[in-house]
This record gives sequence, C-alpha cells and structure tokens, in this order.
Amino acid sequence: MSALFSQNPLMNGPNYSFSDTPVSHPNEAHGELREHRFNPYTDNGGSTLAIAGADFAIVAGDTRLTSGYSIHTRYSPKVFKIGGTTADQKDATIVLSVVGFAADGTALRERLDAACKMYRYRHGKPMSVNAAAKRLSTMLYQKRFFPYYVYAILAGLDEEGKGAVYSYDPVGSYEREMCRAGGAAASLIMPFLDNQVNFKNQHIPGSGEGHAIQEREKKPLLREQVEILVKDAFDGAVERHIEVGDGLQMMVITSQGVEEHYLPLKKD
Amino acid sequence: MVGKDCVAIACDLRLGLQALTVSNNFPKIFQYGDVLLGLTGLATDVATVSDLFRYKVNMYRLREERNIAPSTFANLVSSSLYERRFGPYFVSPVVAGLDQKTGKPFICGFDSIGCIDFAKDFIVSGTATEQLFGMCESLWEPDMVRLDLDFRTLFPPGIFFYMMILLKNGQLNHDVECSTIMHIICTSDLNFTNASYQSTFATGFDEFFANNLNLLDDLQCPEDLFETISQALLNAVDRDALSGWGAHVYIIEKDKVTKRLLKGRQD
Amino acid sequence: MADRYSFSLTTFSPSGKLVQIEYALNAVNQGVTALGIKGKPTKPLAQADAHANFLPTATNGIVLATEKKASSPLQDPTSLSKISLVTPNIGMVYAGMGPDYRVLVDKARKVSHTNYKRIYNEYPPTRILVQDVARVMQDATQSGGVRPYGVSLLIAGWDEGVLSDEELEKLQAGETSSDDDEDEDEDGNKKKASGKTGGILRGGPMLYQVDPSGSYFPWKATAIGKSATSAKTFLEKRYTEGLELEDAVHIALLTLKEHIEGEMSGDTIEIGIVGPPAHHLLGMEGVEGAQGPRFRKLTPHEIEDYLTNL
Repeated sequence: MSALFSQNPLMNGPNYSFSDTPVSHPNEAHGELREHRFNPYTDNGGSTLAIAGADFAIVAGDTRLTSGYSIHTRYSPKVFKIGGTTADQKDATIVLSVVGFAADGTALRERLDAACKMYRYRHGKPMSVNAAAKRLSTMLYQKRFFPYYVYAILAGLDEEGKGAVYSYDPVGSYEREMCRAGGAAASLIMPFLDNQVNFKNQHIPGSGEGHAIQEREKKPLLREQVEILVKDAFDGAVERHIEVGDGLQMMVITSQGVEEHYLPLKKD
Repeated sequence: MVGKDCVAIACDLRLGLQALTVSNNFPKIFQYGDVLLGLTGLATDVATVSDLFRYKVNMYRLREERNIAPSTFANLVSSSLYERRFGPYFVSPVVAGLDQKTGKPFICGFDSIGCIDFAKDFIVSGTATEQLFGMCESLWEPDMVRLDLDFRTLFPPGIFFYMMILLKNGQLNHDVECSTIMHIICTSDLNFTNASYQSTFATGFDEFFANNLNLLDDLQCPEDLFETISQALLNAVDRDALSGWGAHVYIIEKDKVTKRLLKGRQD
Repeated sequence: MADRYSFSLTTFSPSGKLVQIEYALNAVNQGVTALGIKGKPTKPLAQADAHANFLPTATNGIVLATEKKASSPLQDPTSLSKISLVTPNIGMVYAGMGPDYRVLVDKARKVSHTNYKRIYNEYPPTRILVQDVARVMQDATQSGGVRPYGVSLLIAGWDEGVLSDEELEKLQAGETSSDDDEDEDEDGNKKKASGKTGGILRGGPMLYQVDPSGSYFPWKATAIGKSATSAKTFLEKRYTEGLELEDAVHIALLTLKEHIEGEMSGDTIEIGIVGPPAHHLLGMEGVEGAQGPRFRKLTPHEIEDYLTNL
C-alpha cells in the first residue's frame, strides 16, 4: 500500500528514456484547440487463472466487470466454452478465458468459436486444443497493429488426454504451461501458483547444503487440490485488488466434458 | 509478518539501478535494540534514513535509559518522515517488533511521508509489492502453529484419528501436503472441549491435551512463521525482475532474534 | 544588534558563585510552602497467597499540596490555581513567584508536546519532562538579557513501566528476600519494608524538585518555600515506607497545618494527586485503550472531607 504513493521512480516499475519525450501536440503550445482523441480501449479489470492437471484442466475467472472505479456488473463471465456443435456449447471440449478489454474479449471468443465450428464442418471432427491454440495465436497476430486488448488463456485436454493450458499475450505470442494467471491480479496470483503448482522454492529438507539442496519432486496436482488452490488464489486477489471480486466462475475440463461451477467471492 | 507470539521481517538482497544490478548483497533490514526496521526505495535514502534512526534510537536510549518500544519507534519514524513532507526520503519503511510489556507482536508500514499502516497480519513494501500481497494473502493465517513432526509417533492412534476428524471439519487446517513432512496448522481458537464430537476419541483427545498442555507450547510457531515468510518472499521476488538475489529473514521471539540467510535464485 | 552587547545577568562572582541564582532561591524561600509526598506500594508479597497478584501500581500515588493565600478578603479564591496539570499523568506546584511559575507551566506543557508527544505520539515520562523544564530554567541562567526564574517546582507524575508483570513480580520477590530491614508479621510472612518504586523500566510514581539553577532532585517527600526546612523535618518524622495515597494526603494536611498562616479550608488549601486513572475526567466512554488522567486536583469539597477527618 505504501508503495502506491512512494514518488519513488525506482519503485514505480521500469522507465525508459523515450517515455520522457514530449508527447503534446505541437499546436497545443500555441493555445490552439486540439481535436479530442478517441481511445478505442478500456481496461475492464478482472482476473483469470488456469491450471493443468494430469487428466483435467481448470480455468477460472472472477465475474466482476469494472471501468475505473465503477463496477458495471457483478456477473459477467470471462470463461467460455468454445467449439461445441450447438449454441449452448454442451458438447464443447475447449475453454477460452479472456481478460482485459471485455468487448475485444467477446469479439475474440466469437471469432474463435466460429473458427472451431467451421473446422468441425469442414473436417467432420472437433478441433484439438493444440490446433485451436495455434489458430487463436494467428487470430491475435492478424491484428498486430490494432490488437485485441485481451490476455487470453485456452485450455482443454491434449491428444494424450492430459490437461493443456495455453497462455497468450495480446498480439498472439503463446506458450503451453502448467498454470497461468492473467489480468488485473495476475501479479498477485502468479507467484502463488509458482509455489503451489510448480513447487518453486520448495526443497526436500536435509537433502543438501546451499544450492545442492534437492528440489521437491514435481507431480501434477489432484483435481480437489486444484479447486482449493483456485479458490485460495482468488480469495487472496479479491482481498487486495479492487477490480477483482463478486463471483468465481470455474470450468473443469475432463474426459467427460466440461463442468461449470460458480462460487461467490467478496462483493466489496 | 505476524506469527503466534512472534514476528518476522525479511528482505531481498538486490541493489539495482532499474534493470542494472549493482550489488547482490545489500541488506535492507536494520536492528535497533528490540525493534527491526526494513527500508526499501532509493538506496542513498535507505542508508541515510537507517543511520538517522540509528542516531535517534541511540539518543533515546541514552536519554531514557531504556530500549525504544516498537510502537514508539513507529511514531518516531512517522514524525521523522513527515518532517520532510515536501522533500521526502524515497523510502517505504516497515517496522516489526514485540511489545516490551505484553509481548504482543507489532508490525506496521509507512508511505514515504510517514502515514502509518497498522496491520495485524503482514506489511509489504518495495518493487515486488503486488507479488508479496498475493503471496502473503494466500499463505498467511492467524496464529500459525506447525506440528512439524512424525504424527504417528507423537500422538496415540486415537488422538491421531481425532485430529483427522478435526482436519476434515476445518478445525485444523491441512497445509500443503509434503512427501517427507506432514504440516498441520492449528488455528488458535481450536476448541478442545467441543461437545459436538462425542466420539470416544474426543474424550481421549481432550484428556491427552489436558495432560500435555506443554505440547502446544512447544509447537514451533516461529518455525512455521519462518517458513511462511520465506516462501512468500522468495516466490514473490522470483516474479519481480527488480528483486531477488537471496534474502535475509529475521524471526523475533521474546528474548531472541534469529537471523537466517536464504540463497534463493541468483538471477 | 542589541543582543550582541547584552550579557547574561547571571555572571560568576569572583568566589565562583552565581549570586543571581542565590537571589532567585531567596525569592523561593519567601514563597508560600508547597509539599509533595510519594506513596509507595503497600502490598508486600504474601508468599502463601500465590493468587493475590501483586499490582505494583494499584496503591501508588503522590500528593502535592500548598496553601492558597488571599491577600485580601475581597479576593475570589476559586479563580486562583497554584497546582497545574502538565500532561494527563504529570502535574506540578511551585514556591516563589507566581508569574514566573505560569510561564514555566506554559513552557512545560509546550515542550511536553514539541519534544515528545509530537515525535513519539505519547506523553513524556516524568524524568524526561523534568529534564526539559530544568533545561528551560538553566537556559535562563546562561542567556543574555534574562534573569533566572524565581521559583522552585515540585513535579509529580506517573510513568508507564516497560517490564512485564512477571518480570515485576520476579523483581519484587528478589527484593523481598534480600531486604535487611524487613520485619515479620504475625503469620511469619516477610513484610517488605522498602520496595523501590519508580525507575523508568518499572514505572510508577515519580516526584521531583526543580530549582532556579536548573538542578533537579528526586524525592520520596519534600517541601519547598518559606517553611521548607521545618516542613521537611516534620515529614521526616511522619513519613513511612508504603504510604497509601489516603495517608499521604493526611500527612500533607498535617504538615501544612503546622506551618499555615491562615485557616485551613477547601478554599485555602490546594491539593493535586497522582493516583489511579480518573475515568470520570476522560470526557468519553467506550473508546478502547483510552485512559483517564492520573493527575487531578482535589475539589474544595474533597479537601473539606479530608480536613474534617484531620
């Protein structure tokens, strides 16, 4: 909290020399009126999170939608089923979560859904997560110079039936990971996931001195454990981030299909 | 960070000029008698402010013939920073200590002009503030007590079983499962005489604890606090490019301060 | 410019005396007598009764007393006040020049804030305040263009100790066993004759005298002013260790009675006490941690009550 008003350049993140270059319109200096610039983007806040297990994947997001200090709605989902045969997506196997600018998120979700459906019509089979992941990347990169302002996470089961989580930046750079947090509270949640999912900084006691100490063996978590982790991660984020809260929407992807859960979060 | 009858304060060791690492052994915690002060921010101010408080606390001790209390020190920090209201030191301090009279944990943080943030759980400060908030908020719990032991040898089988019941009922919280150690975290309001458990084990349990009250005293509260604050700090700084390079951790108990050095990632 | 040539009035005499200070003391010694008596913890640790928790501060207190002299029957005594509150736990009384005293009260109240409350957000311990006031008085003996204050002060206060209850008890027990001048009561329990109170670590009541020179002395009981010498002789006779506050008030009145010029009444006697927190003076209720002032002046009515029992 104290760092918010620190006035300390070192504490306010990296700065670059070009951020100091004059940005004002040349005419402004001469007292002429300047045309108002339309800003096509808004940050709608919120946070998402995905964790891959051995034979499942869980994607979760809060349901608050904000702009600035206002809460627009307390129930606006950020996690969507993608590529089902019907409108209710009941046979979908892939889940997409989008956080950032909600309008772009909706647009992106519809485009990816359409792309998955087209794939199904043309190939007569559902798209694999691997393929959908690549398709989403190209979709984002196509708008390289007017990007969808979203941090997307795609999840499903890969061809071997293992949980797969793909995370993206707004211009389509992507990576398959065991877990990822996105959005407003990503910086709060991510180190927690490193610690609890990838067992970072956990060692076997007495197994060595200094850097020779052995790391704790990595193994995928059980579904129950992951569900608790997701709730704990969001409870923490809600406590310390004003843009996160209201409700927790959780999609669990297993070989049986996609289950959706809704849990309440603090509404303050 | 506050534990049961103890407090901890920790810092990383990096000194950097934005992305350029200048030193990897720059501690940010300073001890003044029984009180510890953590300082993040502009390094020159960290040095100046730490020396300033060294001077002020020494003067206090000479004048008053006693050590400064944590809460008194906190107010001294606040008033000293506010003196520079319009030309502040670029630091955000953190104070930790135990109250001299009652032994109660005391922690607080400040902004650069001395506004105090009294907290009963934890205070974070520096470039990894957000990451630390996330870590602390999810790892910290009140009155952390760890039964870090081989349960089955310590407790009679009935007691062990009853503890499992309590666990399931949320009266004991199960920490992250670990292959070699079993961590159990007791919450302080644990009610051993809860009548709702009328099993035979329950009576045995109450009796067991009535006869072994010292067992609860010996629970390693400082150890669990150490583990919690260390994990919180290490994992937070690993997600911050501007922090890291190992850590110092101080655990303050009554009549004892333990300092530990953590290696951590060196990048 | 003027201050360059204005030397201190307090200049050493060839014999090494500062005669201005001695003159100031003369002014004090003509002043109305004021006295202070420190009460002590009465409770010796009865070893048999382990549960009777020794409360080191419960019965502690100090009384400050002086005579309020009206030079004319037309004067309204209610508007005159010679005992003043400095901080909620510290008060003082004087002998000597009234106007100088009021300046010192103002300065004492001021330095208690500037030198302490505004820095540490708590009021100064008695000794710290006494030192600050003593510095003000010393400054007047060494600065240009000023004269020493013509008053001696008695400053009474109560300090919050820093030792925990167990540590206090341990300390108390240690003293009991090592005391030489302890006598035994009928149960054979050791009765502690002299347990130190006060000390900045232990807390408790503190009584100091400050002189025009800036020197200060801690006292168990003392008097200043016109009949200081005889009053002190009287106090030496009457004072015992472990006085209850009530007894201290009683002795204070007896001492005054010996030396008073006019009649004794609630209007002509002024008494200030340092005792248990006076919650009724706090002015609010239900605020956690809020404590009433320990220093308060007795009302004329309360004084009358003590006088009738004299």
